[in-house]
Amino acid sequence: MAKRETPRLDSLNKKKKEKEKKEESSKHQQEENVDDKQLHQGFSGDEEELTESESDGPVLSEDEDYVSADGDDSLHNDPSEENEGGSSESHQGIEESDSSEDEVAPRNTIGDVPLEWYKDEEHVGYDIAGKKIKKKVRQDKLDSFLASADDSKNWRKIYDEYNDEEVELTKRETRLIRRLLKGKAPHAEFDPYAPYVDWFKWDDAKHPLSNAPEPKRRFIPSKWESKKVVEYVRAIRKGLIKFDKPKEEPRVYHLWGDDSSSTEKAGHGLAYIPAPKSKLPGHEESYNPSLEYIPTQEEINSYQLMYEEDRPKFIPRRFLSLRSVPAYENAVKESFDRCLDLYLCPRARKKRINIDPESLKPKLPSRKDLKPYPVTCYLEYKGHKGAVMSIATEASGQWIASGSIDGSVRVWEVETGRCRRVWEIGEAVHYVAWNPLPGLHILAVSSGQDVLLLNTGLGNDEEQKNIEQLLRIETPGSMDDTGNTTSIVSWVQDDKHGGIRLKHFKTVSSVEWHRKGDYLSTVMPAGESRAILIHQLSKKLTQRIPFKLHGLPVSSIFHPTRSIFFISTKKNVRVYDLLKQKLVKKLETGLREVSSIAVHPAGDNVIVGSREGKLCWFDMDLSSQPYRILKCHPKDITNVAFHHSYPLFATCSDDCTAYVFHGMVYSDLNQNPLIVPLEILRGHSSTNGRGVMDCKFHPRQPWLFTAGADSVIKLYCH
Amino acid sequence: MPKHYRPPGKKKEGNAAKYITRSQAVKHLQVSLPLFRRLCILKGVFPREPKKKVKGNHHTYYHTKDIAFLQHEPLLEKFRNIRAYDKKVNKAKAKKNRDLAERLLTRRPNYTLDRLIRERYPKFTDALRDLDDCLTMVHLFASLPALESEKIQVKRIHNCRRLSHEWQAYICRTHKLRKTFISVKGIYYQAEVEGQKITWLTPHTLQQVLTDDVDFNVMLTFLEFYETLLAFVNFRLYHSINVKYPPILDSRLEALAADLYGLSRYFAANSSATVLGSQAVSSSGAEQIDITKDGTQPDESELRLAQLQHQLPSNEPGTLMHLVEDASCEDEDDEETRECKTLFKNKKFFLSREVPRESLLFVIPAFGGVVSWEGEGAPFKEADQSITYQIVDRPTQGHIFLSREYVQPQWVFDCVNARIILPTDAYMVGRVPPPHLSPFIDNEAEGYVPEYAEMIKRLQAAARKEVLPIPGAGKEDLDDPQNLLVEGIISRTEANEVAERKQKMLALENQYHNELQLELQGVQYSSSVSNMNKQSSVEDTEAWEESLPDMQQIAEDTTTMSKVVMSRKKRRLYEAMQIGKERKRAHVNLLKERKQKIEAAQGSEKS
Repeated sequence: MAKRETPRLDSLNKKKKEKEKKEESSKHQQEENVDDKQLHQGFSGDEEELTESESDGPVLSEDEDYVSADGDDSLHNDPSEENEGGSSESHQGIEESDSSEDEVAPRNTIGDVPLEWYKDEEHVGYDIAGKKIKKKVRQDKLDSFLASADDSKNWRKIYDEYNDEEVELTKRETRLIRRLLKGKAPHAEFDPYAPYVDWFKWDDAKHPLSNAPEPKRRFIPSKWESKKVVEYVRAIRKGLIKFDKPKEEPRVYHLWGDDSSSTEKAGHGLAYIPAPKSKLPGHEESYNPSLEYIPTQEEINSYQLMYEEDRPKFIPRRFLSLRSVPAYENAVKESFDRCLDLYLCPRARKKRINIDPESLKPKLPSRKDLKPYPVTCYLEYKGHKGAVMSIATEASGQWIASGSIDGSVRVWEVETGRCRRVWEIGEAVHYVAWNPLPGLHILAVSSGQDVLLLNTGLGNDEEQKNIEQLLRIETPGSMDDTGNTTSIVSWVQDDKHGGIRLKHFKTVSSVEWHRKGDYLSTVMPAGESRAILIHQLSKKLTQRIPFKLHGLPVSSIFHPTRSIFFISTKKNVRVYDLLKQKLVKKLETGLREVSSIAVHPAGDNVIVGSREGKLCWFDMDLSSQPYRILKCHPKDITNVAFHHSYPLFATCSDDCTAYVFHGMVYSDLNQNPLIVPLEILRGHSSTNGRGVMDCKFHPRQPWLFTAGADSVIKLYCH
Repeated sequence: MPKHYRPPGKKKEGNAAKYITRSQAVKHLQVSLPLFRRLCILKGVFPREPKKKVKGNHHTYYHTKDIAFLQHEPLLEKFRNIRAYDKKVNKAKAKKNRDLAERLLTRRPNYTLDRLIRERYPKFTDALRDLDDCLTMVHLFASLPALESEKIQVKRIHNCRRLSHEWQAYICRTHKLRKTFISVKGIYYQAEVEGQKITWLTPHTLQQVLTDDVDFNVMLTFLEFYETLLAFVNFRLYHSINVKYPPILDSRLEALAADLYGLSRYFAANSSATVLGSQAVSSSGAEQIDITKDGTQPDESELRLAQLQHQLPSNEPGTLMHLVEDASCEDEDDEETRECKTLFKNKKFFLSREVPRESLLFVIPAFGGVVSWEGEGAPFKEADQSITYQIVDRPTQGHIFLSREYVQPQWVFDCVNARIILPTDAYMVGRVPPPHLSPFIDNEAEGYVPEYAEMIKRLQAAARKEVLPIPGAGKEDLDDPQNLLVEGIISRTEANEVAERKQKMLALENQYHNELQLELQGVQYSSSVSNMNKQSSVEDTEAWEESLPDMQQIAEDTTTMSKVVMSRKKRRLYEAMQIGKERKRAHVNLLKERKQKIEAAQGSEKS
């Protein structure tokens, strides 16, 4: 009953509240049906609308119904009932209920009151429209019995007291009753032993977590959901949401349409460095190269012995026809490598020099213009039995002296190569130095710990007398006057060789004369603070230099014109003023080990040779750094020498060569010295790893004497 | 205080401020390393070499400006968005919500690279300059198999194929191809577009070998950029010859894998309608004649094309039009293009099955020839009597048409490089063809000229001297220039040999003179020495004799002496140059030695 009324009542509630008040029963029912109504609403907004519109019809008819209810009954009853039936059918398909009342609508509306109350009345109750239901006329028992005996279906008929009518049971109903009587389930299709289905989601839990009743919202459709749906529907209708959007293809257009605007610089102010293009293939990469490009099998095998970096990346192959060429196995790999190069390799702009290597050579004045200079070997002086360690030229240029490791000192005539005189010292001679005065033919020879001052016996009688006087030590007693120096050096008359012997306490490596021929300096590398001594020949005096030495002294030399003294240690050259007794300059060579030093005759330029084969030219006016460093020899430079008058200097080295340079010093201070290599002099042979030991220029001529470790002295002339 | 101490609060200066290492850059940008790589590749940012490496030698350094440039890149934000979006998708997938995942995937944010291309290449010529790697890569991928495991999709491979064919079609159409070279690695092509020489490598059309030690992610990022670049370049190039881009191809030809031919047809159809901007090829005209001969099938496709273009070319008038245009357009091209265009003019080629079709379909029309091949969709059949050359690459040829010459494919490439029609004798079927030489090598600079290069040079000289002045007589007479050429060659070779002999004699004479002069010098200074020193005549002669073998010594001395005076920097440079020269010389000597050995072996075999 409730079901049938629902839509009608809904609309009724909304539209006509006055009439509702009149009806008492409907009020109860409305409250009951709230659930149903909401269920009904929840399906969708659209459906709601639909039902609303649908329910308009019955509402109208209902109005009529109520109007007619006041007047007569039966006439208008039928259509309303039809309407009701139609609407109820439409609803029955949708909703279902378990209540047994719904199945058969009872005609009587009296409710659950005892029927005895109507025992004496004409009617048994009221139908739904409130009209009296009349009692049927009772048949007498006989008639009824007869009727029942005639009717075969009588046994099915039951008298319904409540509604006062006879009901005939259908077959189905009888079957139902039978089953009930047997104590079975009323429906045959009901299986009491159906397998149990556990609808509860356990979700790894042992027990149901909550025994709270299912909340109501589980059964109510979400309001927001329905709103969202409405929103979507509207969006679809308006065309805001589109389905099956076509895939967009990458758009290509005229990118470089206006080149005029593209003049702006690319990016961010940094120079773009384009990647170098990959190398173009050569003949050897051809599929069919000339035969000479294909390495032989031995060559291919030899590649295996190479380091992996040196190994050629590509070995040429030859295919006799195009169809036999296979796919290149490294195609992908090489492409990948190129990619890596492109994005991983640091790029830097490198200037590629594409010049003729000859243009790197400095433009030097022609050697022909710089003549004369020593070129060829002209004379050889043979006689020594060991390596010639040192040579010295006499001031006039007529004689040279040489000292050798075999312990002999010889004096040679330059022009003829004749040996004039020989001294057998007995000990290896390291250094010989000729007194620079033309008339004073005294030779200073260092051998071992001694320095001998020898009378060469050259010159005329007057000069000889002078020399002999110089080389005589008057009284041994006078030596005591020299005081503290006696312990360093003792001046002893050497009768055997006819000279003076200066006995030192350490090995003397070099001896140098002062330009005036009265003083000479000796260097003892192991002498520590007394390593460098200055001897005065006229007074037979010895004195230490008043300067502190820094490092191991290698050699010392007097300035050719002024009273300046050069001391070279292994690293540096120090320049002292002897008069003022102070340091003038320190020349920083930057070399590993200085071996020799020579001063230009003008006195402002110094050359220093080193054991690593480098030659430094110092311009003392310019700076204390070398003006020019020349790497000329692969081996040690043993000695360097300046020519007295010609603009020449020479170096000699253990690699058996001597270099002759043109070294022009200009009087104009703005002009730098000009250094031109002129000639490489060869001829000496290597002995015990030593080559040329010493070189000296002839004092007048542009000739060079070289002393070799092969016991030969050579004269190179222009 | 240490030397490089920087007090707090003081900014970094110099190289320390200008350059940052890669890991610093990655941290600074807050991206992952793969993403950083990707950005670098797309933006064209590369590490730079600082003068002073502050962090050490084993780092890569990026300029801070480069990194700032990356930081302001909108693409970076886009990549972040995509990453976040991918997380969404992954989440959906992980929750087995496939619907959501699929729906999300359909609306994945996307990015375009056109802005980057414009930024990296502000001018079109810049793009052309950098096109070498792009083309090589695209051509490589066009021949790779699709690999799902390496994320190489079929779609991309097809795109690469399409792009490469479009490029080739343009080059072919405008006759811009200059050099070709078949190497073991593939076939090299060099084209000249807008004054830029563009060289690219196409792999041999075979199944490519894939190695494991390749990171395809990097390559695919490069490819992504290159694909876009090439598409824009193609657009621009097609635009410049008034052809619509992207071209719409005949699907039938496409299915037959004759894309290139399809493209050329497309061009033909396009240009026949647009009167103005077509630089017509003789081939297109000839093609159309063939079409009419051949019958209905190609006509259909032609019609289809026409419909696609909303143009209706009528065949016979079209050919006439082409001929007219041919004459008018000729003066627009430069000398070289004209030379290239007419190399294979009036020649018809037929390709056998075993011949690499794609490359020959590209090369022959690029030099003005007409090509067909064996198979469906070909413009003319093998039996066509007007075919002048058939390209064959098999040991023996079964059926032989007497009207044509059978040559190996190398002949085409050699002709193209030499720019003359070479005699075909050496390239006959079954013979070992003469060596294939690289056109990219300057033989004179290299110092070694292979024998065949000399021969080609002689042939070229012959062609230039004798054949070219004739064209007044009419090109019809030259349909078989072979004989003329050969005659010319014989006479020319003789003349050349004589000239060469003369040159050799001259060289020898020169050498002799030089030696004499040197000797004279030796005499001079030995004599001068003798004069000055008043030496004896005996010694003089000694010195003279000594000086003779010392010539070499003297030369050596002069170089060492000049080296002595050089500054250290220059000396090192000089020495490095000498080493390079020496290496080159050694290589040439090795080649000469091998050549001698081979000749000796051949000589002994003969005898």
